[in-house]
Amino acid sequence: MNRFDLLNKVQNILKDNLVICNIGLPSQELYKISDQPNFFYMLGSMGLSSSIGLGLALSQNKHVISIDGDGSVLMNMNTLATIGNRAPSNYTLLIIDNGSYGSTGDQRTFTDEKTSLKDVALGAGCKNVVECSGEETVNELNKAIDDKDNSYVIISKINSGNVKIDPIPLNPITIRDRFRKFIGKVKYL
Amino acid sequence: MKISKKIIDNLKKGGVDFYLSVPCKLLANMIDILENDKDVYYSAVPREEEGMGICAGAYLGNKFPCIMMQNTGIGNSVNAIVSLLQLYQMPVVFLISYRGTPGEPVGAQGGMAKITEDILQTLRIPMLHCSSEKELNKISTFSKHAKVVESPVAILCDFNLMKDDK
Repeated sequence: MNRFDLLNKVQNILKDNLVICNIGLPSQELYKISDQPNFFYMLGSMGLSSSIGLGLALSQNKHVISIDGDGSVLMNMNTLATIGNRAPSNYTLLIIDNGSYGSTGDQRTFTDEKTSLKDVALGAGCKNVVECSGEETVNELNKAIDDKDNSYVIISKINSGNVKIDPIPLNPITIRDRFRKFIGKVKYL
Repeated sequence: MKISKKIIDNLKKGGVDFYLSVPCKLLANMIDILENDKDVYYSAVPREEEGMGICAGAYLGNKFPCIMMQNTGIGNSVNAIVSLLQLYQMPVVFLISYRGTPGEPVGAQGGMAKITEDILQTLRIPMLHCSSEKELNKISTFSKHAKVVESPVAILCDFNLMKDDK
Protein backbone atom coordinates (compact mmCIF):
# COMPACT_ATOMS: atom_id res chain seq x y z
CA MET A 1 0.00 0.00 0.00
CA ASN A 2 1.31 3.46 -0.90
CA ARG A 3 0.08 6.92 0.08
CA PHE A 4 -2.49 7.14 -2.72
CA ASP A 5 -4.01 3.79 -1.69
CA LEU A 6 -4.10 4.89 1.96
CA LEU A 7 -5.75 8.23 1.18
CA ASN A 8 -8.36 6.33 -0.87
CA LYS A 9 -9.07 4.10 2.12
CA VAL A 10 -9.47 6.94 4.64
CA GLN A 11 -11.28 9.45 2.39
CA ASN A 12 -14.71 8.75 3.88
CA ILE A 13 -13.41 9.49 7.38
CA LEU A 14 -11.67 12.65 6.21
CA LYS A 15 -14.87 13.99 4.63
CA ASP A 16 -16.52 14.30 8.04
CA ASN A 17 -13.66 16.20 9.70
CA LEU A 18 -11.51 19.27 9.24
CA VAL A 19 -8.36 18.19 7.42
CA ILE A 20 -5.02 19.96 7.12
CA CYS A 21 -3.11 18.22 4.33
CA ASN A 22 0.64 18.29 3.85
CA ILE A 23 2.26 20.15 0.96
CA GLY A 24 3.10 18.46 -2.34
CA LEU A 25 1.97 15.03 -3.40
CA PRO A 26 -0.17 14.29 -0.31
CA SER A 27 -2.37 17.31 -1.07
CA GLN A 28 -2.33 16.66 -4.82
CA GLU A 29 -3.32 13.04 -4.35
CA LEU A 30 -6.07 13.90 -1.88
CA TYR A 31 -7.39 16.60 -4.24
CA LYS A 32 -7.55 14.05 -7.06
CA ILE A 33 -9.30 11.44 -4.90
CA SER A 34 -11.90 13.79 -3.49
CA ASP A 35 -11.85 17.56 -3.27
CA GLN A 36 -13.80 18.91 -0.26
CA PRO A 37 -14.19 22.42 1.18
CA ASN A 38 -13.18 21.11 4.61
CA PHE A 39 -9.76 20.07 3.23
CA PHE A 40 -7.07 22.73 3.69
CA TYR A 41 -4.34 22.05 1.13
CA MET A 42 -0.91 23.36 2.06
CA LEU A 43 0.82 25.04 -0.89
CA GLY A 44 3.96 25.93 1.10
CA SER A 45 5.50 25.83 4.58
CA MET A 46 6.71 22.21 4.62
CA GLY A 47 6.73 20.82 8.15
CA LEU A 48 3.81 22.81 9.53
CA SER A 49 0.76 20.59 8.88
CA SER A 50 0.76 19.30 12.46
CA SER A 51 1.12 22.86 13.80
CA ILE A 52 -1.65 24.37 11.66
CA GLY A 53 -3.97 21.55 12.73
CA LEU A 54 -3.06 22.05 16.38
CA GLY A 55 -3.86 25.77 16.24
CA LEU A 56 -7.16 24.97 14.57
CA ALA A 57 -8.10 22.31 17.13
CA LEU A 58 -7.33 24.74 19.97
CA SER A 59 -9.58 27.39 18.41
CA GLN A 60 -12.87 25.58 17.70
CA ASN A 61 -14.65 22.33 18.58
CA LYS A 62 -14.79 20.29 15.37
CA HIS A 63 -12.41 17.35 15.08
CA VAL A 64 -9.19 18.13 13.20
CA ILE A 65 -6.98 15.62 11.37
CA SER A 66 -3.52 16.81 10.35
CA ILE A 67 -2.14 14.66 7.57
CA ASP A 68 1.63 14.81 7.81
CA GLY A 69 4.60 12.86 6.49
CA ASP A 70 7.70 11.39 8.07
CA GLY A 71 9.96 13.85 6.25
CA SER A 72 7.83 16.79 7.34
CA VAL A 73 7.68 15.74 10.98
CA LEU A 74 11.46 15.27 10.98
CA MET A 75 11.69 18.89 9.79
CA ASN A 76 9.53 20.25 12.67
CA MET A 77 10.12 17.68 15.40
CA ASN A 78 9.46 20.12 18.24
CA THR A 79 5.81 19.92 17.18
CA LEU A 80 5.55 16.55 18.96
CA ALA A 81 6.48 18.19 22.28
CA THR A 82 3.88 20.91 21.78
CA ILE A 83 1.26 18.30 20.85
CA GLY A 84 2.25 16.14 23.82
CA ASN A 85 1.68 19.05 26.19
CA ARG A 86 -1.11 21.03 24.55
CA ALA A 87 -3.19 19.01 22.05
CA PRO A 88 -6.93 18.95 22.86
CA SER A 89 -9.04 15.81 22.37
CA ASN A 90 -10.42 17.03 19.02
CA TYR A 91 -6.97 16.65 17.45
CA THR A 92 -5.48 13.70 15.58
CA LEU A 93 -2.09 13.73 13.91
CA LEU A 94 -1.90 11.16 11.10
CA ILE A 95 1.72 10.67 10.04
CA ILE A 96 1.92 8.81 6.76
CA ASP A 97 5.33 7.21 7.23
CA ASN A 98 6.64 5.79 3.96
CA GLY A 99 10.31 6.27 4.90
CA SER A 100 10.84 8.61 1.99
CA TYR A 101 10.67 12.19 0.77
CA GLY A 102 7.94 11.35 -1.74
CA SER A 103 7.42 14.76 -3.30
CA THR A 104 11.09 15.28 -4.08
CA GLY A 105 11.86 11.95 -5.73
CA ASP A 106 11.59 9.34 -2.98
CA GLN A 107 14.91 9.92 -1.24
CA ARG A 108 15.09 7.89 1.99
CA THR A 109 14.33 9.59 5.30
CA PHE A 110 15.79 8.64 8.68
CA THR A 111 12.63 6.71 9.57
CA ASP A 112 13.84 4.24 6.94
CA GLU A 113 17.04 3.92 9.00
CA LYS A 114 17.20 4.20 12.80
CA THR A 115 14.57 6.79 13.77
CA SER A 116 11.24 5.73 15.27
CA LEU A 117 8.67 8.53 15.26
CA LYS A 118 6.62 6.47 17.70
CA ASP A 119 9.46 6.56 20.24
CA VAL A 120 10.05 10.25 19.60
CA ALA A 121 6.35 11.06 20.08
CA LEU A 122 6.21 9.07 23.32
CA GLY A 123 9.36 10.71 24.61
CA ALA A 124 7.94 14.11 23.68
CA GLY A 125 4.96 13.54 25.94
CA CYS A 126 2.28 12.28 23.53
CA LYS A 127 0.22 9.71 25.42
CA ASN A 128 -1.80 7.91 22.77
CA VAL A 129 0.64 6.97 20.05
CA VAL A 130 -0.27 4.21 17.63
CA GLU A 131 1.96 2.71 14.98
CA CYS A 132 -0.01 0.63 12.51
CA SER A 133 -0.10 -0.74 8.95
CA GLY A 134 -1.93 1.03 6.16
CA GLU A 135 -4.73 -1.54 6.40
CA GLU A 136 -5.22 -0.88 10.12
CA THR A 137 -5.30 2.89 9.70
CA VAL A 138 -9.07 3.23 9.06
CA ASN A 139 -9.82 1.45 12.31
CA GLU A 140 -7.27 3.44 14.32
CA LEU A 141 -8.49 6.74 12.91
CA ASN A 142 -12.09 5.91 13.84
CA LYS A 143 -11.01 4.99 17.36
CA ALA A 144 -9.12 8.28 17.72
CA ILE A 145 -12.09 10.35 16.55
CA ASP A 146 -14.55 8.45 18.76
CA ASP A 147 -12.43 9.01 21.89
CA LYS A 148 -13.72 12.36 23.17
CA ASP A 149 -11.17 12.56 25.99
CA ASN A 150 -7.81 12.12 24.27
CA SER A 151 -5.79 13.28 21.28
CA TYR A 152 -3.89 10.73 19.17
CA VAL A 153 -0.79 10.42 17.07
CA ILE A 154 -1.18 7.68 14.44
CA ILE A 155 1.86 6.59 12.48
CA SER A 156 0.77 4.68 9.42
CA LYS A 157 3.64 2.61 8.03
CA ILE A 158 3.25 2.19 4.27
CA ASN A 159 5.38 1.75 1.16
CA SER A 160 6.89 4.64 -0.75
CA GLY A 161 5.69 5.45 -4.25
CA ASN A 162 3.63 8.18 -5.83
CA VAL A 163 0.96 8.67 -8.49
CA LYS A 164 1.82 11.01 -11.35
CA ILE A 165 -0.31 14.03 -10.74
CA ASP A 166 -0.79 17.74 -11.49
CA PRO A 167 -0.40 20.65 -9.06
CA ILE A 168 -3.60 21.76 -7.31
CA PRO A 169 -5.33 24.36 -9.50
CA LEU A 170 -7.01 26.17 -6.58
CA ASN A 171 -6.04 29.69 -5.56
CA PRO A 172 -4.84 29.88 -1.92
CA ILE A 173 -7.54 32.40 -0.99
CA THR A 174 -10.18 30.05 -2.39
CA ILE A 175 -8.79 27.24 -0.22
CA ARG A 176 -8.80 29.55 2.80
CA ASP A 177 -12.25 31.04 2.35
CA ARG A 178 -14.21 27.92 1.56
CA PHE A 179 -12.51 26.18 4.50
CA ARG A 180 -13.47 28.99 6.89
CA LYS A 181 -16.97 29.09 5.42
CA PHE A 182 -17.32 25.35 6.13
CA ILE A 183 -16.42 26.00 9.79
CA GLY A 184 -19.00 28.77 9.76
CA LYS A 185 -16.60 31.65 10.27
CA VAL A 186 -16.85 33.46 6.95
CA LYS A 187 -20.15 35.07 6.10
CA TYR A 188 -19.39 36.98 2.93
CA LEU A 189 -19.05 34.11 0.47
CA MET B 1 4.96 45.81 34.74
CA LYS B 2 3.34 49.04 33.56
CA ILE B 3 4.75 48.80 30.03
CA SER B 4 3.93 45.10 29.68
CA LYS B 5 0.39 45.64 30.93
CA LYS B 6 -0.12 48.49 28.51
CA ILE B 7 1.04 46.35 25.58
CA ILE B 8 -1.28 43.46 26.47
CA ASP B 9 -4.22 45.81 27.14
CA ASN B 10 -3.74 47.36 23.72
CA LEU B 11 -3.41 44.00 21.97
CA LYS B 12 -6.64 42.83 23.63
CA LYS B 13 -8.34 46.08 22.70
CA GLY B 14 -7.26 45.38 19.11
CA GLY B 15 -9.05 42.02 19.28
CA VAL B 16 -6.10 39.69 19.84
CA ASP B 17 -7.32 36.63 21.78
CA PHE B 18 -4.74 33.89 21.09
CA TYR B 19 -1.13 34.24 22.25
CA LEU B 20 2.03 32.19 21.83
CA SER B 21 5.54 32.97 22.90
CA VAL B 22 9.08 31.82 22.51
CA PRO B 23 10.40 33.41 25.67
CA CYS B 24 12.68 36.39 26.08
CA LYS B 25 13.51 38.06 29.39
CA LEU B 26 12.02 41.27 28.00
CA LEU B 27 8.73 39.40 27.46
CA ALA B 28 8.68 37.75 30.89
CA ASN B 29 6.17 40.18 32.45
CA MET B 30 3.80 39.82 29.50
CA ILE B 31 4.00 36.06 29.78
CA ASP B 32 3.12 36.32 33.49
CA ILE B 33 0.12 38.48 32.69
CA LEU B 34 -1.12 36.14 29.97
CA GLU B 35 -0.65 33.00 32.04
CA ASN B 36 -3.09 34.47 34.56
CA ASP B 37 -5.59 35.81 32.04
CA LYS B 38 -8.62 33.54 31.70
CA ASP B 39 -10.08 35.49 28.75
CA VAL B 40 -7.44 34.56 26.21
CA TYR B 41 -5.47 31.49 25.14
CA TYR B 42 -1.76 31.47 25.92
CA SER B 43 0.98 28.88 25.46
CA ALA B 44 4.72 28.77 25.09
CA VAL B 45 6.05 27.07 21.94
CA PRO B 46 9.54 25.70 21.33
CA ARG B 47 10.24 27.43 18.02
CA GLU B 48 8.93 30.50 16.19
CA GLU B 49 8.41 28.79 12.82
CA GLU B 50 6.17 26.22 14.49
CA GLY B 51 4.35 29.08 16.20
CA MET B 52 3.59 30.62 12.79
CA GLY B 53 1.86 27.36 11.86
CA ILE B 54 -0.18 27.29 15.08
CA CYS B 55 -1.17 30.93 14.52
CA ALA B 56 -2.31 30.06 10.98
CA GLY B 57 -4.56 27.31 12.35
CA ALA B 58 -5.90 29.61 15.06
CA TYR B 59 -6.81 32.16 12.40
CA LEU B 60 -8.64 29.50 10.38
CA GLY B 61 -10.59 28.75 13.57
CA ASN B 62 -11.54 32.43 13.86
CA LYS B 63 -9.08 33.51 16.53
CA PHE B 64 -6.89 36.57 16.15
CA PRO B 65 -3.39 35.34 17.00
CA CYS B 66 -0.22 36.98 18.25
CA ILE B 67 3.22 35.42 18.57
CA MET B 68 5.66 37.03 20.98
CA MET B 69 9.34 36.46 20.33
CA GLN B 70 12.77 38.01 20.03
CA ASN B 71 13.71 39.53 16.68
CA THR B 72 15.90 36.46 16.14
CA GLY B 73 12.65 34.53 15.69
CA ILE B 74 11.92 36.37 12.45
CA GLY B 75 15.06 34.78 11.05
CA ASN B 76 13.73 31.36 12.01
CA SER B 77 10.38 31.95 10.33
CA VAL B 78 10.83 33.55 6.92
CA ASN B 79 9.50 30.66 4.82
CA ALA B 80 6.49 30.12 7.09
CA ILE B 81 5.66 33.83 6.93
CA VAL B 82 5.86 33.99 3.14
CA SER B 83 4.49 30.61 2.06
CA LEU B 84 1.80 30.28 4.72
CA LEU B 85 0.73 33.55 6.41
CA GLN B 86 1.20 35.78 3.39
CA LEU B 87 0.23 33.22 0.74
CA TYR B 88 -3.17 32.68 2.40
CA GLN B 89 -3.38 36.30 3.63
CA MET B 90 -3.64 35.55 7.35
CA PRO B 91 -3.58 38.34 9.94
CA VAL B 92 -1.12 37.60 12.75
CA VAL B 93 0.53 40.08 15.12
CA PHE B 94 4.25 39.62 15.78
CA LEU B 95 5.15 41.19 19.13
CA ILE B 96 8.91 41.42 18.99
CA SER B 97 11.38 42.21 21.74
CA TYR B 98 14.02 44.08 19.81
CA ARG B 99 17.24 42.64 21.17
CA GLY B 100 20.49 44.23 20.11
CA THR B 101 19.12 47.80 20.15
CA PRO B 102 20.88 50.44 22.32
CA GLY B 103 21.00 49.38 25.97
CA GLU B 104 21.52 45.73 25.03
CA PRO B 105 24.39 44.27 27.06
CA VAL B 106 24.96 41.23 24.82
CA GLY B 107 27.07 42.22 21.84
CA ALA B 108 26.20 39.11 19.87
CA GLN B 109 22.58 40.26 19.63
CA GLY B 110 23.69 43.14 17.42
CA GLY B 111 23.91 41.03 14.28
CA MET B 112 20.23 40.17 13.95
CA ALA B 113 19.29 43.65 15.20
CA LYS B 114 21.10 45.21 12.24
CA ILE B 115 19.06 43.27 9.69
CA THR B 116 15.70 42.79 11.42
CA GLU B 117 13.98 45.80 9.88
CA ASP B 118 15.52 45.05 6.47
CA ILE B 119 14.05 41.54 6.60
CA LEU B 120 10.62 42.85 7.61
CA GLN B 121 10.80 45.48 4.87
CA THR B 122 11.80 42.89 2.29
CA LEU B 123 8.83 40.79 3.39
CA ARG B 124 6.57 43.90 3.09
CA ILE B 125 5.38 43.47 6.66
CA PRO B 126 3.93 46.67 8.19
CA MET B 127 5.99 47.72 11.23
CA LEU B 128 5.27 49.68 14.39
CA HIS B 129 8.52 50.61 16.13
CA CYS B 130 7.98 51.41 19.81
CA SER B 131 10.85 53.21 21.55
CA SER B 132 8.81 55.16 24.11
CA GLU B 133 5.72 54.54 26.22
CA LYS B 134 3.44 56.86 24.29
CA GLU B 135 3.91 54.82 21.11
CA LEU B 136 2.31 51.84 22.80
CA ASN B 137 -1.07 53.58 22.41
CA LYS B 138 -0.87 52.85 18.69
CA ILE B 139 -0.82 49.08 19.21
CA SER B 140 -4.58 48.50 19.24
CA THR B 141 -5.21 50.33 15.96
CA PHE B 142 -2.14 48.76 14.43
CA SER B 143 -3.38 45.26 15.40
CA LYS B 144 -6.78 45.92 13.84
CA HIS B 145 -4.92 47.00 10.71
CA ALA B 146 -3.58 43.44 10.36
CA LYS B 147 -7.16 42.21 9.96
CA VAL B 148 -8.12 44.93 7.53
CA VAL B 149 -5.18 44.27 5.21
CA GLU B 150 -5.20 40.49 5.93
CA SER B 151 -1.49 40.43 6.62
CA PRO B 152 0.94 39.75 9.41
CA VAL B 153 2.17 42.91 11.11
CA ALA B 154 5.18 43.45 13.37
CA ILE B 155 5.46 45.47 16.58
CA LEU B 156 9.07 46.09 17.60
CA CYS B 157 9.72 46.99 21.26
CA ASP B 158 13.16 48.45 21.90
CA PHE B 159 15.45 47.04 24.56
CA ASN B 160 15.53 50.27 26.57
CA LEU B 161 11.73 50.56 26.59
CA MET B 162 11.35 47.09 28.10
CA LYS B 163 14.40 46.67 30.29
CA ASP B 164 13.21 48.61 33.36
CA ASP B 165 9.61 47.38 33.29
CA LYS B 166 9.82 45.86 36.75
